[in-house]
Amino acid sequence: MISVSHLTKRYRHVVAVDDLSFEVNKGEIVGLLGPNGAGKSTVMRILACYLTATGGRVRVAGHDAFTESMDVRRRIGYLPETVPLYPDMRVDEFLRYRAKLKRLPAKKHAAMIAEVKERCGLNELGKHMIGSLSRGYRQRVGLADALVHNPDVLILDEPTLGLDPNQNQQIRMFIRSLAEKHTVLLSTHILPEVEMICGRVMVMAEGRMVAADTPERLKDSFRGPNLIRAEIRGPVQDVQKQLAMLPMVLRVELVSENGWSVYRVEAPRDVDVRPALFDVVVRNGWRLRALTQEKRRFEDVYLKLTGQEEESVP
Amino acid sequence: MSLFCTIWRREVASFFLMPASYAVVTFFLALMGLSFWLMVQMLMLGHVATPVSQVMFGESLFFWMAMLMVPPLITMRCVAEERRIGTMELLMTAPVGDATVALGKFAGALTVFLLLWIPTLSYVFYLSKLAPYATPLDVGALAGAYVGIGLIGAFFLSIGLFASTCTRNQMVAAISSFSLIAMYFFMGFTPRFTELPLLHQSAHYISCLTHMIDFSRGVLDSRPVVLYLSLTALMLFMSVKSIESRKWKA
Repeated sequence: MISVSHLTKRYRHVVAVDDLSFEVNKGEIVGLLGPNGAGKSTVMRILACYLTATGGRVRVAGHDAFTESMDVRRRIGYLPETVPLYPDMRVDEFLRYRAKLKRLPAKKHAAMIAEVKERCGLNELGKHMIGSLSRGYRQRVGLADALVHNPDVLILDEPTLGLDPNQNQQIRMFIRSLAEKHTVLLSTHILPEVEMICGRVMVMAEGRMVAADTPERLKDSFRGPNLIRAEIRGPVQDVQKQLAMLPMVLRVELVSENGWSVYRVEAPRDVDVRPALFDVVVRNGWRLRALTQEKRRFEDVYLKLTGQEEESVP
Repeated sequence: MSLFCTIWRREVASFFLMPASYAVVTFFLALMGLSFWLMVQMLMLGHVATPVSQVMFGESLFFWMAMLMVPPLITMRCVAEERRIGTMELLMTAPVGDATVALGKFAGALTVFLLLWIPTLSYVFYLSKLAPYATPLDVGALAGAYVGIGLIGAFFLSIGLFASTCTRNQMVAAISSFSLIAMYFFMGFTPRFTELPLLHQSAHYISCLTHMIDFSRGVLDSRPVVLYLSLTALMLFMSVKSIESRKWKA
């Protein structure tokens, strides 16, 4: 559906996008992830035919974004990051205006507008002025606009920016439901969101693609050592010494000490030291309250990829 | 074509939906009212040698104030406002060409401008009904005056549109287009300051004051018509290029 090869966008002093290539297949929901200024918005603006590139090729739904820009625009629904709308228009009026601009046949206007209002939860708001709507509703109007001509591809730039957790949840569910009919490319810097919505993630940093895979595999490939968290009651120095002596244990760290002491035990990636640890505790007659494996969060992977980590996890 | 009409209609509607627009309308009608009052004063003194349209539209100071100041006020928000609130991105990612947007917006501004002149027709009505003995009504001269207003107005509006595409600040757009329009207007006064034959001649060709006086006497010369149409086309072309510049500007 979307095919980008060697895309480059250069401004006078900065290279915003640097030799970027990727593909998005039909029906996929792909997340474009990266810190501010990584070039996500620039890529999306080029895909939506708002900007042209300095070099490379972009094809959307079988059309070249530079030479057949009108064909591409008809097949794309684009929600810009700031969700710009006309504050002096009513919701219905705005959607009708947009449907006309997007060359939706006049016969389909009423039906399509009713459908997108239903899908975006705007049923009762047709007569409201856009300027008087809350941020969450403006977002929905923006989405309704992106959907009104039933595009093959949806390009959503930070669709959950500035929403409260409740609205966030709703929008995420909504975006997931879009995959039935549309191909979705969305950008975000909220990490749990990518894990929840996207089937595939592409991580950008400084205009380059630094990784592209499913969220799980990405996490997996960047998993560091196995971390075990244990809460043990016993003589601290002794416990620490004994744990460190266990086979395969790389390091033992005392996290907190308050009657029950919390230890973090490091072992190589594919080794589970929990049974051995339990045995030691039993052998010494100490007491054990918790024994858990620390999950590696997606955030850590992301920080590592985009080089924002202050101090790398050993 | 239907896209052009969509943008055109939206432009006209958005002008009349803005409360500030009515201040512009009031300002305009006040100036034209003064112009009318001036003409009535002259008629009372018995000056009827020239067609009334020339007094009211060609030589009146208030008429030129309106011509110079109203177009920038109409066009200042055209593109600048869309750029400020970001809807330009929505507009330019819909399947609409840059030229269609520029022409649609220009047509909208021109329509608003021409609509403003409709109430001035009532002055003609009053004059012919209430004081038919004061002056003979010259329909040809009157039509010429309105043609001149349309042509010169279209050119000034196209300057305003161009200025509006260059900035995201309405005030900057209004001030810069007013400056450009005033500069053009006062260039026509060069003959009053210099005797150099070349300047004298060329200033005469571009003087909109001279053209307007001719138009409002019913003289429809093809040279100013071609001049204003081509200048308008040039400014529209520059507006399209300016809208396009987002693509190549580094």
